[in-house]
Amino acid sequence: MSQYWPFIVIGLFTGSIYGLAAMGVVLTYKTVGVFNFAYGAIAMFCAFTYWQLHDAWHLTAWLAMPILFLVVAPVLGIAFEALYRPLAGLSAEVLIVVSVGVLAALSALVPIIYGKQDRTLQAIFPTSTFALGSHFHVGYDQLGTLLVSLAVAGVLWALLRHTRFGTSTRAAVDNPDLADMVGVHGDNVRRSAWILSTMFAALVGILISPTQGLDVNQLVLVVIYAFAPAVFGRLVSLPLAYIGALVLGVVVSLLSKFANSGTVANLEAALPYLALFALLILMGGRLKEAGASSRRLSVSTRNTAGMGNAIGARHWIVRVLGWRLRVERKLTVGLLGLGLALFIPLAVPGPRLIDITFAVVYGLIALTLVVLTGWAGQISLAQFAFVGVGAFTAGHLSGSHGQHFLVAALVAMAIAAPLGILVGLPSLRLSGLYLALATLAFALIMDNVVFNRSDVSGGLTGITVPRPQIFGLSFGGRASFYELVLVVFGVVAVAAYAIRLGPIGRRLQILRDSPLAASTLGVNLTVTKLVVFAVCGMVAALGGAFYGALQQAITPLDFLWSTSLTLLLLVVLGGRSVISGAVIAGAVFGVEKMISNPQFNEYFPLAIALGVIALAQEPEGTVALARRETRRVLSVLRPLPRRSQRRGPDIPAVPNPGVAVAAGGSMGANRGL
Amino acid sequence: MVSELATEPTVLEAGNITVHFGGLVALDDVSLHVPAGCIAGLIGPNGAGKTTMFNVLTGLQEPTRGSVEFLGQNVSAWPPHRRGKAGIARTFQRLALFGRLTVHDNLVASWESAHRGGVLGRGRAERNIRVAEVMDLLDLWPVADRLAGELSTGKGRMVELGRALCTDPRILLLDEPGSGLDANETAVFSAVLRAIISGGSDPRHQSAPPAVLLVEHDMALVMDVCTSITVLDFGKVIARGTPSQVRADPVVRAAYLGDASAG
Repeated sequence: MSQYWPFIVIGLFTGSIYGLAAMGVVLTYKTVGVFNFAYGAIAMFCAFTYWQLHDAWHLTAWLAMPILFLVVAPVLGIAFEALYRPLAGLSAEVLIVVSVGVLAALSALVPIIYGKQDRTLQAIFPTSTFALGSHFHVGYDQLGTLLVSLAVAGVLWALLRHTRFGTSTRAAVDNPDLADMVGVHGDNVRRSAWILSTMFAALVGILISPTQGLDVNQLVLVVIYAFAPAVFGRLVSLPLAYIGALVLGVVVSLLSKFANSGTVANLEAALPYLALFALLILMGGRLKEAGASSRRLSVSTRNTAGMGNAIGARHWIVRVLGWRLRVERKLTVGLLGLGLALFIPLAVPGPRLIDITFAVVYGLIALTLVVLTGWAGQISLAQFAFVGVGAFTAGHLSGSHGQHFLVAALVAMAIAAPLGILVGLPSLRLSGLYLALATLAFALIMDNVVFNRSDVSGGLTGITVPRPQIFGLSFGGRASFYELVLVVFGVVAVAAYAIRLGPIGRRLQILRDSPLAASTLGVNLTVTKLVVFAVCGMVAALGGAFYGALQQAITPLDFLWSTSLTLLLLVVLGGRSVISGAVIAGAVFGVEKMISNPQFNEYFPLAIALGVIALAQEPEGTVALARRETRRVLSVLRPLPRRSQRRGPDIPAVPNPGVAVAAGGSMGANRGL
Repeated sequence: MVSELATEPTVLEAGNITVHFGGLVALDDVSLHVPAGCIAGLIGPNGAGKTTMFNVLTGLQEPTRGSVEFLGQNVSAWPPHRRGKAGIARTFQRLALFGRLTVHDNLVASWESAHRGGVLGRGRAERNIRVAEVMDLLDLWPVADRLAGELSTGKGRMVELGRALCTDPRILLLDEPGSGLDANETAVFSAVLRAIISGGSDPRHQSAPPAVLLVEHDMALVMDVCTSITVLDFGKVIARGTPSQVRADPVVRAAYLGDASAG
């Protein structure tokens, strides 16, 4: 038994830090209704700030700590409260997107503010040890961390349980309007919750950095360990979340003892994610989303889509004809664009062409997320895991096994289908936030259990993927490979467009807008969701095969969990419910690849993250923005309408042919592309 | 009068439905039957269990005990979508429209959901005709291309009714369709309801017009259109009969109508 004790102590030590993080996450969820995906990033930001104060500016800990906890954390907390206040009651999707945006923004901001050099944070407590029993030593830092964590956790629990703040908190989250009426100041409660939660994050940051390293990505990742215990407490119970974190810490630590002997390689790293995935599936229907009953529909009311085209179309034949005209206009524009893109290799030199090819492949992958998230309403934070499956499968089959590229791509898709169903399984009982968490867990499991196996991915050296040869034609050259990828993208995009306009497109959208109503009308939700996940996974894997062949050498780092988050951000930026949103996502990715100016590379991700936060409520992202602006600019050029034909903003579509002409630009704007 | 109704074939029958939510008994041994060609009313104060009953009938809520029979078949184990396809259609008290689809597409999607092969585009001509009929009946053309999420509650309720009609239902479960309607809209609505059960909604495509089970707070509307009424209070049936019988029942007056007139 004595051999286990050191591992138990280490487990309690790390578990107690995760416990603080889990409590911080639960706190904002139960008081504000925001699940903070950026929690690790906030902890990381605070840890870097502390390093700056303490190690760079040589302030004593007695000065640096009060500044961190009483100035920096509260200011951040107030800023978050202000950021999320206008989003109260919006769909889970919008809140998830914003918090992922905050995560990206902070990750981009830290190197800009604090520089990129390697650094370490000193432990706050002395690292010397004392003997406990005969064989076994405990570090003062471990003991100190555990005690601080227990004390702080206890104080927070008591605060919520036994003070007026606690009851106000519950009132404010249960029914914000009613709470305001009985004198609970919801804004104050929410602000306090954000400040407390941010202080917890700061504590997590400075406690965990000495052992985990002061590294942007590492700290963001480590705090995800706390998500499983938070879900264990159903995102409402602070004690359960804390206890869950302690148990998880100990189990992970004990597993690492066995992992050293090579029997359960790397399971300990993946365990928190496996636990998260399993908990979400097992707890299923018992998990309730905060404030789900008072959700507002996040339709942009500025969208006057379709108002112009009801005009006199009383008979369905007339309607079908008008519809066909609009469809053909969009299709023509799309095909024209694709046709022009075919000639890009004539104008662009080689290395740049590779970047443009990346943009096209990325657009293909982004398209799967548009269908899955924008149309069908199923949030996925794991789409790049499928890209990885596609790339590695293609690499093994067409590279080392010498198979035909088409065969390799088909096998990749065949492997992706059941994986897609696996990711889709949680969606049968979960939606919104919990589905997002499940897919995040899936991405991390793929990272840790599958992609880091050297027999799958070749480890950090990676594997090579040859360019395809199809029907005797070689696509080894940059230009020919570009053309191939462009044609594949064009076929998939046109197919998606056709599907979107037909019965299947409607089926996907009713799944998004009201799954409940859809099921009572006769839609089998189980089959629909699983098919969508499987098909989107397959196409993403196809994209992965091309991604691999384009890059020619791939490593697990190309398909890290965070690449899936980036994909989501770019798709939201472009416009998650329109095909052109995927095109913009690809273009932005391509631009980032193309420009290698260090300053640009630092600020560009920050700009993207801020853009995403600003556009999170707009399903058509930049596309809507561009359309609105174009219309505004063009409206200046338009001749004044005769007074009798002017239309007020809120008058429902009345048969009036003059409007049809004037509002031509908005025709069928809700139909996509 | 009740015995007279019982001779009509029964479309939907719920037998001894009991639903527990933890310690709360939402429905306690409630039986209900809806004969063909009738508008049956289900009334009761808030929290009496009316919406829970609808959820049991449509398969969204599994009862603790009891069974549901539809056209003589036991459908208790059927999932919601199977019941929907078979001809049980409903509307929701809190609107559950497809907010980012147009009104017209709401109806089209509904037809496609309920009809075999609809999602693969089968029966397109039939679909267009049926949707147009329902749009005509409910006067939805003026808002055909508006997004459903932008409509007023009154129009939204009409779209939900239209969506239910597009499934060619054998029974329509309407959950407080009158709430949020103004007096004019209510009058239109009751006329539409009568047209539906008399077959006016669709002379060509349906073997028989649907029966209706109506949950409603507007007593004038209920008394006006229903041929039989069941009264629930705290999950129990406290009265049953024709509108005049129910109106005269002292228990009902005490539990419900009395409260309403006092309030």
